[in-house]
Amino acid sequence: MLKTIIEKEIRDIIGSTKFAVTFGICAVLILLSFYVGANNYLVSRARYEAAKAENLRQFAGLTDWLSVRQHRIFLPPQPLGVLVTGISNDIGRTMQITGRGELTAEDSRFNEDPLFAIFRFLDLDFLFGIVLSLLAMVFGYDVISGEKERGTLRLALANAVPRHTYILGRFCGNFIALAVPLIAAMLLGCLLLPVFGIALTGGEWLRLGLILVAGLLYFGVFLTLAIFVSALTHRSSSSFLVVLVVWILAVMIIPRVAVLLAGRAVDVPPLDEIDAQKAAFNGQLWREHREQVAGFKPTADDDPEKLMGEFHRFMGDLADERDKKMQEFAGRLNEDRHNRCRVQQRIAFTLARVSPAAQLTMAVSALAGTALELKDHYQQQALAYQEQYARFMKEKTGINTGGQMMILRIRQGEDEEPKPIDPGELPVFEFRPLGLGHSLGAAIVDLGLLALGNVVFFAGAFITFGRYDVR
Amino acid sequence: MNEWMTTNDAPLLEAVNLSKRYEDGVLAVDGLSFTVQPGQIFAMLGGNGAGKTTTINLFLNFLEPSSGDARIKGIVTHREPLQAKKHVAYVSENVMLYSNFTAVQNLDFFARLGGCDKYGKTDYREVLLRVGLPESVHHKRLKGFSKGMRQKCGIAIAMLKNAPAILLDEPTAGLDPQAGHDFIKLLATLRDEGKAILMSTHDIFRAKEVADVIGIMDRGRLIMQRDAADLAGQDLEHLYLQHMAGHNSAPENS
Repeated sequence: MLKTIIEKEIRDIIGSTKFAVTFGICAVLILLSFYVGANNYLVSRARYEAAKAENLRQFAGLTDWLSVRQHRIFLPPQPLGVLVTGISNDIGRTMQITGRGELTAEDSRFNEDPLFAIFRFLDLDFLFGIVLSLLAMVFGYDVISGEKERGTLRLALANAVPRHTYILGRFCGNFIALAVPLIAAMLLGCLLLPVFGIALTGGEWLRLGLILVAGLLYFGVFLTLAIFVSALTHRSSSSFLVVLVVWILAVMIIPRVAVLLAGRAVDVPPLDEIDAQKAAFNGQLWREHREQVAGFKPTADDDPEKLMGEFHRFMGDLADERDKKMQEFAGRLNEDRHNRCRVQQRIAFTLARVSPAAQLTMAVSALAGTALELKDHYQQQALAYQEQYARFMKEKTGINTGGQMMILRIRQGEDEEPKPIDPGELPVFEFRPLGLGHSLGAAIVDLGLLALGNVVFFAGAFITFGRYDVR
Repeated sequence: MNEWMTTNDAPLLEAVNLSKRYEDGVLAVDGLSFTVQPGQIFAMLGGNGAGKTTTINLFLNFLEPSSGDARIKGIVTHREPLQAKKHVAYVSENVMLYSNFTAVQNLDFFARLGGCDKYGKTDYREVLLRVGLPESVHHKRLKGFSKGMRQKCGIAIAMLKNAPAILLDEPTAGLDPQAGHDFIKLLATLRDEGKAILMSTHDIFRAKEVADVIGIMDRGRLIMQRDAADLAGQDLEHLYLQHMAGHNSAPENS
């Protein structure tokens, strides 16, 4: 009986013009998404490699490691990041490494291509979030009320068909008829990646698979929701209207309102204000140290090299002291802001999670490694790299080269030409994306909520249909 | 011989003091009692709101009765609806079916839903020809079918179920005279095969033409029930209007 209903549903959907049109559009968009994503990845990868090479090239010909300034590291593009962009295009990708102090990421993708900031990318999050949910709504809104209007519901239930079997069959039929072609389009899109020369690791394929699962769960939520609404109404026009309003609320309104409310609930000081406080404190530290610099008296004033060494150590000690005080002060400010941000984010996420669209975005961006924590993760890795860089530079120069410094060169006679440094010796920054376990842990709540949404809405449809007036 | 004719002489369709009062207080069916035997057509006549469709809905368990029972082959429909529905086929006023499907595909789906998955292409072809649908349309989508053609598909579905009882809700409404005539002929054939048929209709002439028992309903009550043979030579329309006008307020039973 169930099989009969499922088969009929699949045949009915696949044979309809509505399916041909909507599936055609979806398939093209999915393939386009993979194509554009793959192209973007290749372009971003080329830019990343060029920027890295340029960074090293600027040091070519230098003969003193003390002259190495403006060393930069770059956030490499991730293959999944172009399929689910998350915040990867919004955060800065370049950081200047000095050896000490705070790091600031600059040059976001949108800074380079502002047009994309307006219309955003055609990524899987967009496709699933908007297109799949609409597809589910378009096919689900008249599953019950439409059948009632057409009179086929009476005819079907005049047979010995249990209602729970009927609605389960309708749901399964709709889900299979719509999901299988979409999965096929996704798999075809996946084939484009190796064609473009993008090799995903096993972990990345697994992540992509989980992203697809999240998309299907999300699709299921809207399908069951539409069937539920359809079982609550007796006219397909009414259910379409209700479903449309719910869709607008869930996809467009709730996530934005959640962010607004969280912003109102927790006051986070703007970065400019924090920077101004840091700058003021830094100025105060410099004023305090300026007098000490003026009173510097070398013990070995007859040997220029020893003098310079003593001066560098003196300045280094002052810089270390300033750095320590600055770190303490900035740390307090940063921690306070960070804590406020975390509370604000928690409120925003909790409120937004009412919406399946927000659940999907959070799940897929976590799985793709482009969720909000990418920014902190990059920052932490950059700070760790800065420590490594500082150790390297101290090894090469004997001092910590971070911050401002004065270099005095004293040439004695016509010595042999100093040898150029080898920039290839600089420690390499290797960005390590968040592990699969971590990403899955971050996504599991939202995946669970999406699964729960399926269960709740289907249960609603199931119970409502049990009492549905088929007359 | 069909198996339901061999079992016993119990009525296949039976209303026992059947009543239905809606939530808004309207008494749609009021103490209805009648039986339909195998090989008998019972025509329920009555105006709009007389309770004919409500009665059919009670037999199909689309509604729960307020009191009394609707029984199919002795099974109380609101107690064992799935069991009861195994023994009844239904044809609605507007047979819509699935317009994306061909006639054969519609037949196949509803036959399987009715529990018959043994039918093949030949069976579908035969039944469609029997209800008067030419072979040229068997594999055409129902989108282009007229109401009469859809109605024929509906009766074909009912025939395929091979149920001993058939419920028909205004089956000739909107049919042209030829289609109406063909339909009545088909009903007579089914009756001759031993089916018990309960038909609600406005169509006095078709009712008189084919029915074995005619009941007139008004405000949920069966105000007249006669064998068609008793009405031979009588002006049924006049009788109907007389009853509806309240000239004969007490229900009669033959």
